[in-house]
Amino acid sequence: MPAPSNLKKPKKTAGGIPSGLLILPSMSMITDRIEEIRKSAESEIGSATTDQELENFRIKYLARKGLVAELFENLKNVTPADRAPLGKALNDLRGRVQSLFDVKKEALDSKVLLKRHALDLTLPGRINWVGTQHPITRTLDEIKRIFFGMGFSVATGPEIEDDYHNFEALNFPPDHPARDMQDTFFISEKVLLRTHTSPVQIRVMEAQKPPVRAIMPGRVYRNEAVSSRSYCLFHQVEGLYVDKGVTFSELKGTLVAFAKQFYGSSIKYRFRPSFFPFTEPSAEMDITCFLCSAKGCRLCKYTGWLEILGCGMVDPNVYRSVGYDPEMYSGYAFGMGIERIALLLYGIDDIRILFENDVRFLKQF
Amino acid sequence: MRISLKWLKRYIDFELRPEELSDRLTRAGFEVEEIDTPGAKYYNFVVGRVLEVAKHPKADKLTVCSVNTGKETLQIVCGAPNVSAGQNVPVGLEGAEILHDQHDPEAKPFRLSNVQIRGVQSFGMICSEFELGLGDDKAGIMVLDKGAEPGTSLADYLGLNDTVLEVGITPNRPDAMSHIGIAREAGAILKKELAIPKLELKESLNKTEEFASVRVEDETDCPRYTARVILNVRIDQSPRWLKELLTVVGIRPVNNIVDVTNFVLMECGHPLHAFDYDRIAEHAILVRRARQGESFITLDHKNRALAPDTLMIADARSAVAIAGVMGGENTEISDSTKNVLIESAYFKPESVRRTAKRFGLSTDASQRFERGADPNITKWAVDRASQLIQEISGGEILKGVIDVYPVKLSEKEIELRIDKTNELLGLSLSGETIKFLLGAIGITPLGQGKDSSGRILRFGVPTNRPDLEREIDLIEEVARLYGYDNISTTNRATIDFPADAPALEFTEELRNWAIGSGMMEVVANSMQEMSVASLVSDKIVQISNPISKDMAALRTSLIPGMLEIVRNNIFHGTKTLRLFECGKVYFKDRDSAYSKYVEDFVEIERIIFLFTGLAEPRSWDRMPRNFDIFDLKGEIQTLFDKILLDNIKFIPYPNTKALTENGLHIEINGEYAGQLGGLEPGFLKKFEIEQDVYVAELEIPVLEKYKRTLKKFKVLSKYPAVMRDIAIIVGDELPAKELEEEIRSSASPQLVRVELFDVFRGDQAGEGKKSCAYALEFMSEDHTMAQKEIDDLMANIVNRLTKKFGATIRKQEISN
Repeated sequence: MPAPSNLKKPKKTAGGIPSGLLILPSMSMITDRIEEIRKSAESEIGSATTDQELENFRIKYLARKGLVAELFENLKNVTPADRAPLGKALNDLRGRVQSLFDVKKEALDSKVLLKRHALDLTLPGRINWVGTQHPITRTLDEIKRIFFGMGFSVATGPEIEDDYHNFEALNFPPDHPARDMQDTFFISEKVLLRTHTSPVQIRVMEAQKPPVRAIMPGRVYRNEAVSSRSYCLFHQVEGLYVDKGVTFSELKGTLVAFAKQFYGSSIKYRFRPSFFPFTEPSAEMDITCFLCSAKGCRLCKYTGWLEILGCGMVDPNVYRSVGYDPEMYSGYAFGMGIERIALLLYGIDDIRILFENDVRFLKQF
Repeated sequence: MRISLKWLKRYIDFELRPEELSDRLTRAGFEVEEIDTPGAKYYNFVVGRVLEVAKHPKADKLTVCSVNTGKETLQIVCGAPNVSAGQNVPVGLEGAEILHDQHDPEAKPFRLSNVQIRGVQSFGMICSEFELGLGDDKAGIMVLDKGAEPGTSLADYLGLNDTVLEVGITPNRPDAMSHIGIAREAGAILKKELAIPKLELKESLNKTEEFASVRVEDETDCPRYTARVILNVRIDQSPRWLKELLTVVGIRPVNNIVDVTNFVLMECGHPLHAFDYDRIAEHAILVRRARQGESFITLDHKNRALAPDTLMIADARSAVAIAGVMGGENTEISDSTKNVLIESAYFKPESVRRTAKRFGLSTDASQRFERGADPNITKWAVDRASQLIQEISGGEILKGVIDVYPVKLSEKEIELRIDKTNELLGLSLSGETIKFLLGAIGITPLGQGKDSSGRILRFGVPTNRPDLEREIDLIEEVARLYGYDNISTTNRATIDFPADAPALEFTEELRNWAIGSGMMEVVANSMQEMSVASLVSDKIVQISNPISKDMAALRTSLIPGMLEIVRNNIFHGTKTLRLFECGKVYFKDRDSAYSKYVEDFVEIERIIFLFTGLAEPRSWDRMPRNFDIFDLKGEIQTLFDKILLDNIKFIPYPNTKALTENGLHIEINGEYAGQLGGLEPGFLKKFEIEQDVYVAELEIPVLEKYKRTLKKFKVLSKYPAVMRDIAIIVGDELPAKELEEEIRSSASPQLVRVELFDVFRGDQAGEGKKSCAYALEFMSEDHTMAQKEIDDLMANIVNRLTKKFGATIRKQEISN
């Protein structure tokens, strides 16, 4: 838009006498002049393509000292009979020139407007930082969500644990080969880094009478050589349900429901007998490999099956450790490794990548 | 353990494909981890007979052989010095994979193709033991038996055309650590009878006890010691069938005596030991504890210092074996051995475990004794070994066994309640079914239990099942043999639910906020180097048996772990990072106010935020700017606002032992809640980081203690707010916080918002001065504030600032 302040203020003329006309014109001369100015305006408006040129046009024709205003001066000099028709002719001229100007101005303005709208919309947007959740906690959240839906609450316990809670109360006798299943980091003779989340079972049962229905997530440690398949620490979710009349059949039902919600309803499963000192009967649960649909692949080591968790009915000796009556109560416990599940789920082939925290990896979640 | 199907078929007859058998065993608790076909790697290897050996025209050390490989006669260039016509040799044909390249420093495998060797075409390769992965001999080609038939596949010749199951055996099942043990289980699954070898010994008239004696000093740790003596054996290699079976299950053949003891071990699971009878002083075996200061050289040529509780087998002079773990060099079977004494003993699990652990020795024998061998199989095992030794290497089996077994360990009796079994499993099995299931693995019904209901069954459990001691153990066996898959699944739970529903864990709330604020979550190792842990605290939790020095302590701060991550990411080219972690720090701190689960140890949950690099993602229309401390402080303030914390103080503190420079302590209601700041460059250097890094590490329990979930609704004022701007010139050193607090208190309560929007120093402010510009918002809850009222409040502010700080007013404006 042309700034109005750029306009030259038209100078007042002395005594109101037009400067350009020295002789009194005849009516026909004036009419010719009107026609001449109309034609010239009509032709000049076409060549005005910028705001400045249009402004020059306005000054030339429409300003107070412009050509149209100049012609109006003639009104004083014509006969009263001619005055009315001349007035009309002059007004028509003014109207015509003004309209030429208006139309052109609008056209130019809209061109400016058009220019302003012609942004490069392919420029990238201004983005913000994107937060991501680590696949370990993400997997844990999903597991929690499912068990919350089945009425489990959450309990936690310490990572620095004593031998009693980590082993003895869980029916691992001292000097028992079962302790070799879990290579342990020791802080002192009787204090260690928990090797599983099962000691939280003991702590929960010590603190509360049945019924107990809780999951217990947390970090655990194993003194094993670090490799693509094992890391010196990982995370587990433990589950425990103790009440009157809890059966192995319910254990199966609960875990099958979990597995179907988590891995998809089309999976098949099997429970195979296993051994944990703190459960009896004990089992491990396998599901059909979801990568190869049980045809056999590298992920399932060509067996068609993937081991997803360990479980079993709580051993009576565990009840004795916490002062529950094994004749009155029964229950089940289960535990699963979160990293292992995350590796399976996301098709990651090296557990260490979870702890390297390379943002190129984290960004993918 | 490796189970050969060929071997297994000695005891049980089955037609199942290996995959089917594996699935059945797995579902019965014997997980088949792998099905191995050891012959597969000898694809395209055959037995060849060397017909002619001619010199290579261009190379002195090479020969050109013509070799009959059954179907055809091939020209093969050979470099071995020992090749000669008439030999049977292993020949690799085109496409075969040589397992170890003798000329490669790493002995990598390679695939054979027909090539010219110094101008002579060679259609295969005659191989050494080393190249076939059968031994260490690289000096020449392997020469096969005279009787071998050219064209026979090498796998067949080596007896490797077998299928081996790698079975994972849980530590409670020592009875299954043998071929008969697995056959027993397979028999139960497939409902087939076992065929246990019948023993018929040809004993001489000479009585064993006239040739040897056994005395057991420690009957607790050695409840039974059985022995036989065989005279005049011929030490030699074992026959092929024996070597093959041992090789396939992963045992290296040694000689025909040792091989037999190993065979019996793998057959029935009972560990035996063969002594050179003539090297046993006075032929007198003594089972005793080690003597003070005694040491002993084991079969692996290591000299081991013994502890007084180590159970030893000794002769009249010195020790000859560590009981149940490993024999000694001094009585080892050698090529010159003539007479042997075979030990078949039962040692207590605890004793063997203690000893094996102490010496870090885990042998086939110790693994079985530790888990619990069968005391009542010792005689069968020693007889079986004696019979085989006689068959294979001749010799005279002396009459009778020496059997020191003062207290006979007999079958256990266990009662099983039918109802309890069904209740626990969710089944309704009859007593007959239960008896049938258990009977299949040798658990014998002994009739009814003590009460007369008929609902209690009594069973005899053989001594090969040390894991079965209680009713629950039998219930497990019932479930296992019935089949876990046959127990239905129930989606049912009746549970008294807690009255108060579990709230969203606070840590989760924090995590969600951080993710929403554009930070990436990391999970770091909680073990770190001592020197790193000690930078922050001296109350360090140390690991007494760490994997390595760099994981010898538990972290005392989340900062170092984060910096490792920063370093690795910078190394990979990512220099801008906005990270957070929720994790624990650990202290050995007797006096800590935090609650302790284990005496002296505390674990505190913290959340750490870390910013480094560019403050905003690069964009085409703005200038890049690096993070500074106010980005982080702003995030923290936003978080505190979100969790409705009040009474927060950010207190600048001088750089002392802390890792940050220009740091702030955060206090909530006067309690320490964390710190934030830029990390000190010297500290960053330890992590090879050369760019600015800002961190905030907060104590989750303190945040949780003071956070609020709900603030009471405050009625919105119906009256308009009035804005005023003011620019104040004060001394450069005056903390902005003090200035702000003074402004607030000067116009309370109508001054509802104070916003610092500009700070500058320079000529316009004057030497040693700064200008701070504030936007102030005034509002009343009960009337529209008049111009005059606000002017008065402004005047009061100016007045107080002038008095207190000597402030001058640069500008005062009515904004909006």
